[in-house]
Amino acid sequence: MSSSTQEIEQLIGQEYKQGFVTDLEVDTFPPGLDEDVIRRLSKVKNEPEFMLEYRLQAFRHWQEMDSPDWAQLNIDPIDYQAISYYSAPKKKEDGPKSLDEVDPELLETYKKLGIPLDEQERLAGVAVDAVFDSVSVATTFKGKLKDAGVIFCPISEALQDHPDLVKQYLGSVVPTGDNFFAALNAAVFTDGSFVYIPKGVRCPMELSTYFRINAANTGQFERTLIIADEDSHVSYLEGCTAPMRDENQLHAAVVELVALDNAEIKYSTVQNWYPGDKDGKGGIYNFVTKRAECRGANSKVSWTQVETGSAITWKYPSCVLLGDNSVGEFYSVALTNNYQQADTGTKMIHVGKNTSSTIISKGISAGKAQNTYRGLVKVAKSAAQARNYTQCDSLLVGDRCGAHTFPYVEVKQPSAQVEHEATTSKISEDQLFFCQQRGLSAEDAVSMIVNGFCKEVFKELPMEFAVEAQALLGISLEGSVG
Amino acid sequence: MSNDQAVSQYLAEYPASSASLPGQTLPWLQQFRKQALACFSTHGFPDIRQEEWRYTNVSAIEKKRFKPFTSTAQGLTNIDSHVLDELVLQDMWTVVLVNGQFVAEHSRLEGVPPGVIICSMSQALEDNPEQVQAQLGQAVSDDEHGFIAFNSAWFSEGLYVHVPANTVLEKPLQVVHYFDDADALLALRNVYHVDESAEASIVETFAGAAQAYFSVNVTEAVLAENASLSVTQIQTASDKAYHFAGCYAKQAANSRFRHDNFAFGGLLARNEIHTQLFKAAECELNGLYLGNKRQHIDNHTRINHLEAHAISRELYKGVLAQRARGVFQGRVIVAEDAQKTDSEMNNRNLLLSEDAEADTKPQLEIYADDVKCAHGVTVGQLDEKSVFYLQSRCMSEEQARNMLTFAFANEMVNKIKHKSLHDFVLKQLLQRFPQQGVEAAWL
Repeated sequence: MSSSTQEIEQLIGQEYKQGFVTDLEVDTFPPGLDEDVIRRLSKVKNEPEFMLEYRLQAFRHWQEMDSPDWAQLNIDPIDYQAISYYSAPKKKEDGPKSLDEVDPELLETYKKLGIPLDEQERLAGVAVDAVFDSVSVATTFKGKLKDAGVIFCPISEALQDHPDLVKQYLGSVVPTGDNFFAALNAAVFTDGSFVYIPKGVRCPMELSTYFRINAANTGQFERTLIIADEDSHVSYLEGCTAPMRDENQLHAAVVELVALDNAEIKYSTVQNWYPGDKDGKGGIYNFVTKRAECRGANSKVSWTQVETGSAITWKYPSCVLLGDNSVGEFYSVALTNNYQQADTGTKMIHVGKNTSSTIISKGISAGKAQNTYRGLVKVAKSAAQARNYTQCDSLLVGDRCGAHTFPYVEVKQPSAQVEHEATTSKISEDQLFFCQQRGLSAEDAVSMIVNGFCKEVFKELPMEFAVEAQALLGISLEGSVG
Repeated sequence: MSNDQAVSQYLAEYPASSASLPGQTLPWLQQFRKQALACFSTHGFPDIRQEEWRYTNVSAIEKKRFKPFTSTAQGLTNIDSHVLDELVLQDMWTVVLVNGQFVAEHSRLEGVPPGVIICSMSQALEDNPEQVQAQLGQAVSDDEHGFIAFNSAWFSEGLYVHVPANTVLEKPLQVVHYFDDADALLALRNVYHVDESAEASIVETFAGAAQAYFSVNVTEAVLAENASLSVTQIQTASDKAYHFAGCYAKQAANSRFRHDNFAFGGLLARNEIHTQLFKAAECELNGLYLGNKRQHIDNHTRINHLEAHAISRELYKGVLAQRARGVFQGRVIVAEDAQKTDSEMNNRNLLLSEDAEADTKPQLEIYADDVKCAHGVTVGQLDEKSVFYLQSRCMSEEQARNMLTFAFANEMVNKIKHKSLHDFVLKQLLQRFPQQGVEAAWL
């Protein structure tokens, strides 16, 4: 298969398409972190008093914590004083009131990324909240959402307009002291999305956020809070990119989801942060805490993620199934290439009766990358008739990469049924040969097999994202077996 | 650290007690023990903050302050002959160790092929110190955790087996460990050295009087090329006892290692079976753990595929009743050069009561691409359809459940081919089965 080896190398060597830098006038804090920086940040954002308290409490907690080292990751030490904790496109007067007022260069950036920010009519159905470095730039479709009673806005705006709601739910799923990166995020988060779906409302369109780190030496700390009130339904998508830079940049986000009685939240991510170059230089450190609480009976939370970017990914979208009959789902495709490292998975904590959870994880490791699935399924004594099914498959591409599976299963309830299965293998030569003798090129054959491998996850993605996800896999993977 | 006190007490008492340990005249052994001591003083006893010990808390062992058993004068009790009759299998060679001491009059080694050495560790240190030196610390490192280091520093006795090249032991060797010394800590170190193309089968039975004691067994199994070794551990210690047994194998090319682990007894029992596989070596690990009352049984296995073409198979089953807690941690590591590895691991647990708990953690760590690795885990109940089927055949529900539970466990016993050993294990299983009304007649 030596003829295809060249193609493979070409393909693997493909450049990161989103790696451009946008020249913008920006307001940026000098690097460094202390209580004064947090006070200044809170002041710049004109936050209510409780937020400053919240941030300071988190910061004090963070100072006493150590960076976690249990993951199967090789992380260069991070200098938290060398990061700037606030970077925002400079506001002319009071900021954009409509899309026409948004910095045209910014809009150009999103156009390059293919975000349909100004193509509202054409792509009707997706409302986008775009976060650029630290602040939200524009939120589309506000009017239509307002009619439905849905609140979808930057979290900084929510702090101004709906402080009670934010106060009630912020930190209720991921407390400030939860872990090192969550504490850091609580102290310094600058923006993010806030979604509230009122009782009985089915959100009329998919909600979407686009994250982008643009400025150098900045970290991005966004916070997303989604509350689905009783009998409501929402589907939320997020995507991420960053320019190519030699140094590593930190992205430490926190996402909190709350589902009340009979509510359903579907959260999809396509993560394509800059992964570093082929020698492992640069790239984003993606250290994210995502957790959902199914508080109400019959509630459901579904996480779907496609992780192709970032130098290091450290991320475990989790579900705490408190309500009786609540359902948690986790569908993941994690692809690592070159020197990328991913330690990702989920936690399903069963507390309520008749709770069920499904975990489908597909890991693909190529080049010299390390890809780890780490998951916990915990069934408390109270979770009678709990049910879990876990399947973790790994595909290895190249003989210098690693694929690891570390599931934890803890059961204290005899009527629970928990199953875990994992397999690791490489693409079978037989399958490749079969496709090729049917007239497919080696490249198409691999693409087909890999897409088939990931199909269970892709079918969970909303349409627009499924297409993007397949294209992303195509860039990094097609034909990379030989 | 919470266990500082216990550790420093043991360390302080070491100089006084070490005089009676075997091999005092051997400088290399002194060095070996000194290093282990240093290692123990840094690590201390294992802690639940350590990943490999997260489900097993050994602080009860620290609090008990078991006294290291160092001298034969400390009361070597004669074993009751009827106790022995219960334990000894007649169609095997037998070695009996009471409280870790070799009891010559109960051991039967007639007809052992020439060149085969089966003796106590202290005897081996006198007769063949170089051979022991060559094997000690080969298959396991003191850095692994505190109990290993403790064992290296404190071991007072053990068993040394050497099967020379091209020798086949035509019947198994049974090692009967019996403990009846209350509050004693017995550190035993065993070496099973099977040379090129040799074959051996060793049966270890652990039993004891109804007393709290702590036995720390470390066994190093060294298999040369093309060697074959089978180890069966049947642990029926009393429900007050603390039991640690580690079997660490190092398998040269084309060797075959099989380990069957029946963990039925002990208040807190931890079994470790680690193996390193070199080229085209094979290993098969089987285990059955029965938890009852407040028992805590932890099984920790690690299969390290270091070179290509090796095969590993593992199946562990647990039946947990009352307030028992069963732990399974199984790790398979495939090194960069271990292409064509074929590995399978399975762990199945049945929870029989509201208060029982199963924690299981299978791990796959793979650095090579051309491999076939899989693992599976289940925790659950009996299949309702099977229960219903038996009920439709005129069985009461209780009977049906008992039968299915028993069949679940019996699969592991049926893997034993040696007739008398199979019957012995089956008898132990029936005696200790957590449910009433299980009958041998079903078979």
